[in-house]
Amino acid sequence: MTSLILRDPTAETSTLSRTRKTPPENLEGKTVALMDIGKMRGDEFIDRLEQLFDEKGIATKRYKKPTNTRTAPHQLIQQIVSESDVVVIALSDCGSCTSCSTHDLNDLDNLGIPGVSILTEEFRNAFNGQCEKIGFEGASIFTPHPMQNKTREELHAFADNVFEEVINKITS
Amino acid sequence: MQDTYQCLLFLKQDCETCVLIEPVVKEVIDKGVDIGVFVEDDPSFYKKLSPLDGTSLEPSFKWQVEATPTLIKLDGGSEVERIVGWDKKAWHTFFQDENLGSKLPEFRPGCGSKSREPGVYENLVARFSENGIEARKVELGEWDDEMEACFERGWTDGLPVTPPTDARILRMLNGTNRDPKDIIGKVPPNLVPITVEKAAINAVMAGCKPEYFPVVLAALEAALEPVFTMHGLLCTTCFSSPIIIVNGPIAKAIGMNWGMNVLGQGNRANATIGRALQLIIRNVGGGIPGDLDRSTFGGPGKYTFCFAEDETDPSWEPLSVARGFKRGENAVTLFQGDGVQGFIDQRSSTPEQITKSLASSLLAVGHPKLAEFTNALLVLSPEHYAIYRNAGWDRKRITEELHQAMVRPGSELIQGAQGVGEGIHPSRASEMVNKFWPEGLLIVRAGGQAGLYSAICAGWTGGRFRYESVPVTKKIEL
Repeated sequence: MTSLILRDPTAETSTLSRTRKTPPENLEGKTVALMDIGKMRGDEFIDRLEQLFDEKGIATKRYKKPTNTRTAPHQLIQQIVSESDVVVIALSDCGSCTSCSTHDLNDLDNLGIPGVSILTEEFRNAFNGQCEKIGFEGASIFTPHPMQNKTREELHAFADNVFEEVINKITS
Repeated sequence: MQDTYQCLLFLKQDCETCVLIEPVVKEVIDKGVDIGVFVEDDPSFYKKLSPLDGTSLEPSFKWQVEATPTLIKLDGGSEVERIVGWDKKAWHTFFQDENLGSKLPEFRPGCGSKSREPGVYENLVARFSENGIEARKVELGEWDDEMEACFERGWTDGLPVTPPTDARILRMLNGTNRDPKDIIGKVPPNLVPITVEKAAINAVMAGCKPEYFPVVLAALEAALEPVFTMHGLLCTTCFSSPIIIVNGPIAKAIGMNWGMNVLGQGNRANATIGRALQLIIRNVGGGIPGDLDRSTFGGPGKYTFCFAEDETDPSWEPLSVARGFKRGENAVTLFQGDGVQGFIDQRSSTPEQITKSLASSLLAVGHPKLAEFTNALLVLSPEHYAIYRNAGWDRKRITEELHQAMVRPGSELIQGAQGVGEGIHPSRASEMVNKFWPEGLLIVRAGGQAGLYSAICAGWTGGRFRYESVPVTKKIEL
């Protein structure tokens, strides 16, 4: 099977990728969706993010995909769109979950929910490659790899280390 | 490797002449002539000839084979002679053998090469040659859905588009004699120069057939005329967008609709020509709703709004003729307008009655108390026009009488009059005021044969600047 080549119908004054939606200026009065992609131990990392948002007085809502191996069911996407303003997707540390969660990030962005995906360093290229293929300039943050064999405290420290960057990427 | 043969022969199983000459070819091969035999459809059928697989059609394309059988003599890899079909004398001379195929008839024509079947040739150009398309390549992943890929990249108006592949673009470019590199103008709002090729890509996406492309190009040229003010029309908070009216024999030739449901869905040419212009504005010009397209409501015409005028009644002067073109000349007129305001009158039976009646509806365009503020497009139905025609009123008379019926005292229209804030400037209170500029009412005859209705499309508010924003008519160059 060979790939199909199309020709760009645009003025070619920008990159081929669609830029992501502009996030809100700040998170005052906004709800941050914390989307657990369903990968083991991701919940422990997200628990800490939730605490950190709470300490700053920023409202969050937790969501969880039934499996990291598929894109999120559209009911879940719609629920996030109707209840939240921005999304943080975590924590991808494998190939299929990277691909699927990047689609989720794109799908939510298309519906007006900008966000950021958190992945382990090993999947930087996979994330960038998937973004390129779907023509989307997605935002990402990378934590050390591997994460499955870390202690709870170490995972929390990963979350502490990226929290400021998370805030930066879901605000403009 | 094809170049090392003494000669090349192109055959098809599905060609009677090819089958007829098979024994002759075998005889020539047995004598030691080094022939490269390419079979375009089923090489196994000619296995006695030890043929080469020509099913990719690349060899047929490379040697520009138009029919089978084609016999090409080579000298140092270059063609020196070619015989198409079976021609006994020519074959005798070619192989210097007076006895070849002695039992066969003198002459048999061949069949078309598979490389020349409809739609195939452009695919071969796309696949096997430098096809000259300059637009940036967008390579999709192996498992990507090409329709979804176009959505993802923001190239569509919300409906699916035909993915712009090289073969489709080349076919579209065959619809015009213009050089793909020709620049047509600058497309607002980003004022980006657009080439014929870029227009073709968007016409492919809109679903146009190549024969529609000259109409698309003419519509684009009209839209890019500065006095059409496409820039303002795109960025406006108003409802309007270009409405394309096609005149001349091309309308029938490409199957456009001017009859029943003329302003509605269902006709490919009407739908896709208008859509192509809108996609160009979006993709090349950068006119994205919510970014620089700031329309409060928009309107369904922003997907597409294009139709032909009914020129079947010789008593009616077509719009393009009224605007200075010859009858029988192909032309497009672009009007800056809104959606349809239905006009219903099933009781008026004289030209005077129907004029008053139409005038009362036309006065509502924009706002009943606004005047010389917009233009208007009146699509007159066959049944309403018949009332005029039977009384001997032509386009000129109808237009004049309608204008006359819409003159009102300024005192009733000034801001605040009749308890309504909107209106004309108070300084005009003592004038008699026209609703439209004298050239600002465009009348087109179209629609189904049955129905005592007509359609009014309000013009854009940019029309209040009488000479700065006007409808534009352009010749369609075939």
